[in-house]
Amino acid sequence: MTPRAIAATRATQPFPYLLLPSFWASRNRARRRERGDGTRAAFFGVVAVGVGGAIFSGSFWLTVQLGGFADFGDYLLRLGLSWLFLSFLSFLTFSGIVTALSTFFLSDDLRLLLAAPVSARRVFHARFARTVGLSSWMVLVFIVPVLAGVGVGHCAPWSYYWLSILATVPFVVIPVAIGTAITLLLVNVFPARRARDILMLMGLLFAGSLVVLLRMIQPEQLLRVESLPDLTDFFATLQSPITPLLPSFWAAEAVFASLQGRFDALHMTALWTTALGLVVLVAAANDRWHFSGFSKAQEARKAKFTRFELLTAAARLLPLAPVRRHMLIKDLKIFLRDVSQWSQLLLLLALVLVYLYNFRVFDLDRNPYMSGVIKNVYAFVNLAMAGLVMSTVCARFVFPAVSSEGAAFWIIRTAPVSLRAFLWSKFWIGFFPVFLLTEVLTVAANHFLGVAPMLRIVSAAAVFLMSLALVGLATGLGARYPRFNADNPSQVAGSYGGVAFMIMAVLFMIVLIVLVGWPSSVFLWYSTTNLPVPARVIVLGGAGFAAAIILSLSTWWFGMRSGVTALESMG
Amino acid sequence: MIAIESLIKKYGTFTAVDGVSLEVKPGEIHGFLGPNGAGKTTTIRMIAGLLKPTSGRILVNGHDLARAPEAAKASLGFIPDRPFIYEKLTAGEFLRFHGGLYGMDDGALGARATEMLELFELGRWEHELVESFSHGMKQRLVMSAAFLHRPKAVLVDEPMVGLDPRGARLIKDVFRKMAEHGVAILMSTHTLEVAQEMCDRIAIILKGQIIARGTVGEVKALAGGSDQHLTEVFLRLTGGSGLQEIDEVL
Repeated sequence: MTPRAIAATRATQPFPYLLLPSFWASRNRARRRERGDGTRAAFFGVVAVGVGGAIFSGSFWLTVQLGGFADFGDYLLRLGLSWLFLSFLSFLTFSGIVTALSTFFLSDDLRLLLAAPVSARRVFHARFARTVGLSSWMVLVFIVPVLAGVGVGHCAPWSYYWLSILATVPFVVIPVAIGTAITLLLVNVFPARRARDILMLMGLLFAGSLVVLLRMIQPEQLLRVESLPDLTDFFATLQSPITPLLPSFWAAEAVFASLQGRFDALHMTALWTTALGLVVLVAAANDRWHFSGFSKAQEARKAKFTRFELLTAAARLLPLAPVRRHMLIKDLKIFLRDVSQWSQLLLLLALVLVYLYNFRVFDLDRNPYMSGVIKNVYAFVNLAMAGLVMSTVCARFVFPAVSSEGAAFWIIRTAPVSLRAFLWSKFWIGFFPVFLLTEVLTVAANHFLGVAPMLRIVSAAAVFLMSLALVGLATGLGARYPRFNADNPSQVAGSYGGVAFMIMAVLFMIVLIVLVGWPSSVFLWYSTTNLPVPARVIVLGGAGFAAAIILSLSTWWFGMRSGVTALESMG
Repeated sequence: MIAIESLIKKYGTFTAVDGVSLEVKPGEIHGFLGPNGAGKTTTIRMIAGLLKPTSGRILVNGHDLARAPEAAKASLGFIPDRPFIYEKLTAGEFLRFHGGLYGMDDGALGARATEMLELFELGRWEHELVESFSHGMKQRLVMSAAFLHRPKAVLVDEPMVGLDPRGARLIKDVFRKMAEHGVAILMSTHTLEVAQEMCDRIAIILKGQIIARGTVGEVKALAGGSDQHLTEVFLRLTGGSGLQEIDEVL
């Protein structure tokens, strides 16, 4: 660089300066609270404290229990820590890849930063710090109460807490640096927007492999008394993926040593040198390849896409009015072309399948405590599970349906289509998939469990009522609290309206389960004891079922009416 | 002040910018005209340092953008067609951050930010969040930011989009004053009246290549009619108005 060039750039700010807008924005958000921010903060605060407390208590309890087994307990604790860090290692790497794609290549503010006279290295450091923060906060939120629980449960010295932090920081940096390097490579090979799709698929594979890994361990073996001689094999299986070459092993060893009052210099040094070395290497690679990758990221507008001719043809066969048919085709095409949308649904489906598979592999008859009554209680646990899946799917996919029109909503508003018809179209598009998913989940789980036929019918009917009510509520509240300027549907789901929907959905679910659960269990009790059902019980039970139906239909009606009114009174 | 030499940008087999050379002198307002998809924004984004050219050279204030990007960018102000502004920052905070990026110290920055906000008639909005701004106000805020660090050259992509007549007049006045103070301005625009009224020289780009350049009078003469309006000249040079086709369709 010429002396003139050096003079021109000498006054530029160090890299933390580039993080200032995020801090200022957070401060402004806190100062100028919008409607519902307090409710949302209180809700998430209570949930966070509850979850944190539960994780801490679980970890504390387990550590105390293991403490009763002397050396074997310590061995299990050491193994557990290795597993904990190993699972986070893979999660952090994947999270680092996805986050780096956004922070280094797709963020809107990059256009501002890269047009300014800021050196590539400063931009890298700021973006990398942001990537580490964004990819690891969830892990830190989980790992802090776990390690605190272990420390308190093991009566660890104070140094344990400091050394745990000292081991966790480089442990988090290493996978994120590797993830950033992978993203840098990917974006230079594929256009960034295409790379995002590829990453989403990779995410699915990652989640799938995690599930397979967990299944391979076959934890249900522990429930079988006759399989005790195989326990050594079980622990051998647990031990096998843990290799001394992985940073997760180093972190676990360093934390375990500090738990016993020792300082494991070897593994701590390995962690810090690897982390720093990787950052230096990735920074150098970034200097060399970031601009070409960023430049490529601007060029992906002409990426190939699927036309879904078959879908259009199939929709033509449906007995729908032209307006509804076109809305259906438009919504489905937009949904299917956005990998980030449907991949999340696939992930949820995978989890549901694992949930069902668990019931399939549990040898229920061998477990003495899985008596008939317990099995039937499980039918309601299943119903609650189906309700939770339904609420989540509704919050994530149905609630943002109106907001997803975004800046294009003027097309609907200026078209000769009534807003009532528009909202009902959104309702039906949401209703059928949600109903089918949860009904299959409930029927299949009840079948594997072998619950009483009456409860199967009650559960199936309850799921139908729940689908009507929750999809109606989500569609209506989504129209009442739209966020047309949101970047993605997750943002809409996390808004004031989204949180309000989740709270109402959970309350509705609890009341519905009580209303159908109480009479069902009473009738079942009379049926198993072969006693005649008194008339009073029949009336009360019938009233319970009727109340459930009225509650569901009125929630459905209230939701939709509220949405239509809100849309029609929109300025 | 801004010089580009044989600039080429290829997207796969498609050549968006094909050997463009251009020079904008200090104090000059240079118009960059062309139909949609002709390569105007791609060229401007390459000069701003947001796109990597396939080949060619870009010099800003004597600094090669490829070799000394920070020095080149320090002399440049950029006003994009779809600007990014942090929605949760106030106008004042945004300007202070922007000034910091260009190495301005805090002492000078406060007074200069207020001065620019006043100039672009945003003074009373200094402490308001950007998310509450209209499109025109956001556009004026981005212009305040672009001129904040006293750049020697300014790139403007479609400056008049979304501005009301008062805002448009204000921007024209500011650009003229800046040019009088020696700032080189390269401005892409669809508004031919703006180009005719403001530009010392213009270049017309079509399918990635410059097909005409010079003063407005020279370009008119090139198209064979010095007394014609620039719109007719532009349509003739870039392939007709399509009026005949419209007639046929109707």
